[in-house]
Amino acid sequence: MTALSALGVDLPWVLLLLPLALLPVLVSPLRLSSAPADEVVPRDPLSSAIGAAIIAAGALAIASLIFGLAGFHLREQSIERRGSGANIVLLIDRSSSMDSTFADRLPDGAEESKSAAARRLLTDFASRRPADRVAVAAFSTSPMPIVPMTDEHEAVRAAIAAIDHPGLAKTDVGRGLLLAFSMFDASSSESSRAVVLVSDGAAVIDRRVQDALRDAAARSPVSLYWLFLRTEGAKGIYDAPASGEEDSPFSNPERHLNIFLKSLGLPYRAFEANSAAQVSDAIREIDQLEQRPTFYKETIPKRDLSPWCFGLAAFAIALLLAAKLSERRLDEDVAPAGAARAQS
Amino acid sequence: MTRPDARTLALAAAFLLAIAAAFGPTTRAERPVYDLVAIVDITMSMNARDYVRDGRPQSRLDAVKERLVAAAARLPCGTRMGLGVFTERRSFMLLAPLDVCANFTAFTGAVSSITWRMAWEGDSRVSSGLFEAVQLARESHADLVFLTDGQEAPPLRADQPLTYDGKRGDVRGLLVGVGGDQLTPIPKYDDFGRETGFLSMTDVPQESRLGPPPADAESRPGYNPRNAPFGEMPGGEEHLTSVREPHLRELGGMTGLGYTRLGAPEALAEAIEANAVARRVPVRIDLSPIPAAAALLALSLVYGAPFAAGIRRRMRPHAT
Repeated sequence: MTALSALGVDLPWVLLLLPLALLPVLVSPLRLSSAPADEVVPRDPLSSAIGAAIIAAGALAIASLIFGLAGFHLREQSIERRGSGANIVLLIDRSSSMDSTFADRLPDGAEESKSAAARRLLTDFASRRPADRVAVAAFSTSPMPIVPMTDEHEAVRAAIAAIDHPGLAKTDVGRGLLLAFSMFDASSSESSRAVVLVSDGAAVIDRRVQDALRDAAARSPVSLYWLFLRTEGAKGIYDAPASGEEDSPFSNPERHLNIFLKSLGLPYRAFEANSAAQVSDAIREIDQLEQRPTFYKETIPKRDLSPWCFGLAAFAIALLLAAKLSERRLDEDVAPAGAARAQS
Repeated sequence: MTRPDARTLALAAAFLLAIAAAFGPTTRAERPVYDLVAIVDITMSMNARDYVRDGRPQSRLDAVKERLVAAAARLPCGTRMGLGVFTERRSFMLLAPLDVCANFTAFTGAVSSITWRMAWEGDSRVSSGLFEAVQLARESHADLVFLTDGQEAPPLRADQPLTYDGKRGDVRGLLVGVGGDQLTPIPKYDDFGRETGFLSMTDVPQESRLGPPPADAESRPGYNPRNAPFGEMPGGEEHLTSVREPHLRELGGMTGLGYTRLGAPEALAEAIEANAVARRVPVRIDLSPIPAAAALLALSLVYGAPFAAGIRRRMRPHAT
């Protein structure tokens, strides 16, 4: 049943020619020899077997040529494989500050921008992990789903490749996270879900969004990683303000986002990176942590079976040819004229 | 030994032809493929429902998403397409060009993920968005497909002509006009994304208030030099929408892009092929059907000729 559905043809209408394969049942490629009566011919099981074989070879030759012409193939199949990896949502900050360098300058030849570094390292990360299923989302002024959970890693690379195009103004990290939590699908096993948030800043999360995030975290547990690309001079995740200074989500959004993410009760790690090398270290660490048994699909491309059909046809025709070449006529030496008539 | 008869020859020929077909002869040919970036307008006017699908109204954005995927599927395999959205005055790249055939599921998923909710601002400066989209396409070394209804919000000022700084024809491609000819109301949504009716005349600026007031402002009703330097907001039909073809054609002329109206997927694919620059990639063409068909013909003759003769003999039993 499943084996049959794995087969297909490119041009089904060619199969309309299949009745031609019945021709060998009706006529023989061998010359007819006249005999006075059926009774003259002795019953011979070997002869009738050979006769049947000649008919079968003819039918087989015609049918396999037709199947080959119709483009008989083994359909593209996806095989479920076990691997170790994770279902990962990459949530990437596309605010315009990502377009400047870690030293908060316009990128020049010597130093790449944060988005270019993130692009390079994330592409590397994705291509090291073939067993992952990955979804990509971006957020800036608004959250944007880009590629839903997929095994097609080229699409993931294309989504990552778009991140060093110019970004937008703001950093709405709360709604971005909410989107990321919603991107796991039914087929991503619960034990191996991870959200990787890549951003170079944070923002105040609206209280309604905070509640929704707590809900989402309670409903579907994921591991959460925050890769914070810290710009030189910017406030860090762990910098507590000096006593007397204001300590609120408005003045220290990064610190308070960290506190909030910890409070979600999820397995959570924050990585603060001041340079591309540190980003690379952090990504390697995530790589090691997210190695759980997962199922992923591997596609086996369509396989054309028509050469095999043509080969089979050639074999069958060779049998017919052998039969034809070994034929001997009863009346060969007696009446060549009669043979000519039978042949017409 | 006697000379081999016609049927032996035909069988031998069929054998040789089938062998030839089994070895899968190929020839090299070139196929045109395209590198594209599709930028989709997701401004409010794209929610107007002036398409019909299965007898039900369909929004412009849904029609664009559906037909873009169907058109991409009709372009020759090897074609790469990137994806972006336009709103406010910016075009924003979502997905770098990727091979559509090889990643069709993910590409379809990415197109269907596009929603008006991604929009970060209500304005719709089609011309600015288009000029940035041209830039994005150039950075991606691709041609542009810009799908929009051409409705500028706020409307452009008649006394300030549009200018384009880029080089005309630098990037090839086309503008695709989306929407109907009839004015259609634009749905309105609240903060939670629930539809709450349609935009009314006073919901949108009917006239641009950017830049200095026009020279004739003093003669306008409601003019006040401090409080209302443009005069009263006039009435208008900017809260209704239809495809702005003359404007899109003008933009196409300025940037050197072609123009077509969003039609059936086949027509969209043809328009893309007509306006984009084809890259020729070598492909191998399978020639095995030719010897295989000849082998089939030879076999059919071997069997068919005596069969036909037999029928003829039976039709005219007294002829021999």
